[in-house]
Amino acid sequence: MRQRLLWRLALAAALAAAGLSQIASAAWIHAKAILAQRLIASAWQDARHGASRRPWPWADMRPIARMQVRSRGIDLYVFDSASPRALAFGPGHVTGTALPASWGNSVIVAHRDTHFAFLRTLAANDEIEVESRDGGHAIYRVREVAIVHKEDTRVLDDADSAQLTLITCYPFDAIRPGTALRYTVVAARIA
Amino acid sequence: MQKRKSGVVDFLELGANAFVSGLVAAIALSVIALALSTSARAATPNGQQTGSLLVRTADSADYNVAPKLETEVAIRVTGMVARTRLTQFFENPADDPVEGVYVFPLPESAAIDHLWLRVGDRVIEGRIQEKEEARRAYAEAKRQGRKAALMEQQRPNLFTNAIAHIGAKERVQVTIEYQQALVYDGGRYRLRFPLAVTPRYVASAADVTAIPDVPKTDEALGDDGPVVNPAYGDGCGGPTNAVDIAVVIDSGVPIDGVVSSYHDIQVEKESGNRTVVYLTKAQEEADHDFELTWSVSAGGAPQAALFTEKGKDAEYGLVMVMPPQATPADLKAITAIPREMILVIDTSGSMTGDSITQAKAAVIQALDALTPRDRFNVLEFNSVTRTFSKVTLDASADNVARAKQWVASLEANGGTEMAPALMFALDGGGTPGVLRQVIFMTDGGVGNEEALFRLIAARLGGSRLFTVGIGSAPNGHFMTRAAELGRGTYTYIGDVREVGEKMTRLFAKLQAPVLQDVSIRWADGSAVETFPPLVPDLYLGEPIVVTAAASDFSRTLIVSGTRGNQPWSVALTPAMKSDGEDASGVGALWARAKIASLMDRITRGGDTAALRPAVLKVALDHHLVSPYTSLVAVDVTPTATGDAKIALVKASLPRGYVGALPQTDTPAALQLLLGMLALGCALVVLRVGRA
Repeated sequence: MRQRLLWRLALAAALAAAGLSQIASAAWIHAKAILAQRLIASAWQDARHGASRRPWPWADMRPIARMQVRSRGIDLYVFDSASPRALAFGPGHVTGTALPASWGNSVIVAHRDTHFAFLRTLAANDEIEVESRDGGHAIYRVREVAIVHKEDTRVLDDADSAQLTLITCYPFDAIRPGTALRYTVVAARIA
Repeated sequence: MQKRKSGVVDFLELGANAFVSGLVAAIALSVIALALSTSARAATPNGQQTGSLLVRTADSADYNVAPKLETEVAIRVTGMVARTRLTQFFENPADDPVEGVYVFPLPESAAIDHLWLRVGDRVIEGRIQEKEEARRAYAEAKRQGRKAALMEQQRPNLFTNAIAHIGAKERVQVTIEYQQALVYDGGRYRLRFPLAVTPRYVASAADVTAIPDVPKTDEALGDDGPVVNPAYGDGCGGPTNAVDIAVVIDSGVPIDGVVSSYHDIQVEKESGNRTVVYLTKAQEEADHDFELTWSVSAGGAPQAALFTEKGKDAEYGLVMVMPPQATPADLKAITAIPREMILVIDTSGSMTGDSITQAKAAVIQALDALTPRDRFNVLEFNSVTRTFSKVTLDASADNVARAKQWVASLEANGGTEMAPALMFALDGGGTPGVLRQVIFMTDGGVGNEEALFRLIAARLGGSRLFTVGIGSAPNGHFMTRAAELGRGTYTYIGDVREVGEKMTRLFAKLQAPVLQDVSIRWADGSAVETFPPLVPDLYLGEPIVVTAAASDFSRTLIVSGTRGNQPWSVALTPAMKSDGEDASGVGALWARAKIASLMDRITRGGDTAALRPAVLKVALDHHLVSPYTSLVAVDVTPTATGDAKIALVKASLPRGYVGALPQTDTPAALQLLLGMLALGCALVVLRVGRA
């Protein structure tokens, strides 16, 4: 009897531990995403004054732009790298595409369940504001929303106008990671 | 009764109980999750994507069937110009129509002026249009079910062909034509045809996750693995992308020593001056670049040549002048100048394998060539830049030996962060009386070329940058432009066996430029507008090659420069002119060079808004593909209905380009679900125990 109870408790404890660790890991992903953006805010102030500082000492990326969607209460700092490590902390600029707030097609990617979860709410004519490190300021207006396959890298192609392309995974509510589809929002610069 | 059961049986029962409850819960949750995600998938996002070129609402499973591709290359060389006809046969093995998209490389100086789309026995000729306009025409045709082909420039040496509606089991043929000027160096003509694309590091985050010792965070691992390059074939079951190459050389003068650097070829002399070359093995795998070189028979080597072609409103000329060879006295004076040599080696992940072996062999040979009067340093870069020494060292036997040991220990892995290495190597300074030479060994697998060009232009100072392209398919555009901006030369090493010979040639050049301050004028002293506008310093064995436009070329041209401290000049009289078939295509080469020079001004900070119309005009007038213009061919009659699925045409595998968009989902939701499930099970276990 006593042994049975012990078995049961042990099993329950093991299951609970496994469950909690999974939940903690999920929470950690979200916590990192939120916390990092707070830390970047101060690095950004320095960056605006000329010093290209890392947001925390061991970070291997730097903020290069600030992106705001006032109508959705969104205020994000964009990193200079779209590596998975950078994306855990914030949206990343795809190097090789135009810089935010400059001529050409500037591409920014972020996770569908953290920073770019709001993309699903964006519709045509919504306005996105971008501030670059050198103090440049641009306003983009959403032109189109599209779903593309991950191999369709044409969305990274340079454009013959100032445009902003935001990319995240699709569908937004998928449980399993690893989808082959990408949700893209293309916005044209209006100011 | 129950109480008498043994603990083990009880435990089993309990486990089974928990398992069943868990299973039920899991199934229920999965059904909910599935329902949620399907409803999200079926919904039209904000109802806006209809008719947009970007939209591909196909089910991901249907992307797997890619059209098969075969490539035929026919190159005809006349005089200094090579005209290439490239035919791509796309075959759709599937039962549904697809839209084919193929990314492929061409030589960096190629002037592409024609595109034909062949459907059955009809041939539709492509027109040149402004890029956005061409995209609209293509999208419109696709929507209406008409066949269409669109050729766009991604980089000056990287292009995309999109073919709308390759019907079920159908074969569609796309032909393009371009010209390029031959390279003449060290007494040999050289013709290159790129057959593969080394992945461009920064264009996507793909390579970061593909590199073994970058720690993979949980976010990076989806269950179909981190982002890889699935648009590349696996190389099993025959060539993924088979290619056939034939070259006809109509040189006008006898040639000999026709050599293919990396492929087996057959050479047939048809008549005195006509030579035909083809691949021994038909249908080679297109996984490494093709290079053909030959020399002009003794006495026939050109000293100066002028090819002209009459255009609509002007005559176009291609000028080639061979500077005089350095005399022993020149060489002696040159070798007396002390040098500071900075060797930079790319140790990024894309250099893994043969490439890093070649690069290390080349660096070690460079170290061996140093004399005790020289100073040197060695750097390696991947995600970070490391230096052999903090400051430049004397090339003492001891220092050189330690450097060689350091180089031998290098390994390839990590990203290609080239900018910090260039910043370190090009410090903007330069000591008078010292030749500061930076030798940069890389596969050029970078996507931020423009930013790097700006950096080189800004920081070069008194240094000279020599690029050495390593691997089976280095990024020729990057190498050539970087060397141009760095006022050095570009050397291509495609095979480890070539390292010795090619590096020896490079070191001969490194001694010093043979000719500087080159200018080209009419005999009366008036200026000639040439493209490229500035002739770079010429190194041993290199000719001056420029294009120019004029009302006609019936006057004498004077090419002058400084050789050592002596002025030097040569006159090109109208009598030396060769036109007709020899010079066909010179106009297109002039236009291509002019576009490159205008784009160069944008690179150096020129006003895009002002320069773009100029590029557009040249490209439209000369029917050329450019950053702002594309070729588009559209069929008249619809041949398909419905929305075709997009399919990436697979390229051959040598670590290919194309890549994929970064993976941007996290396992957070899945972990949360699993966590809840486990907690649920824990509760069940406890409750079952109490019952």
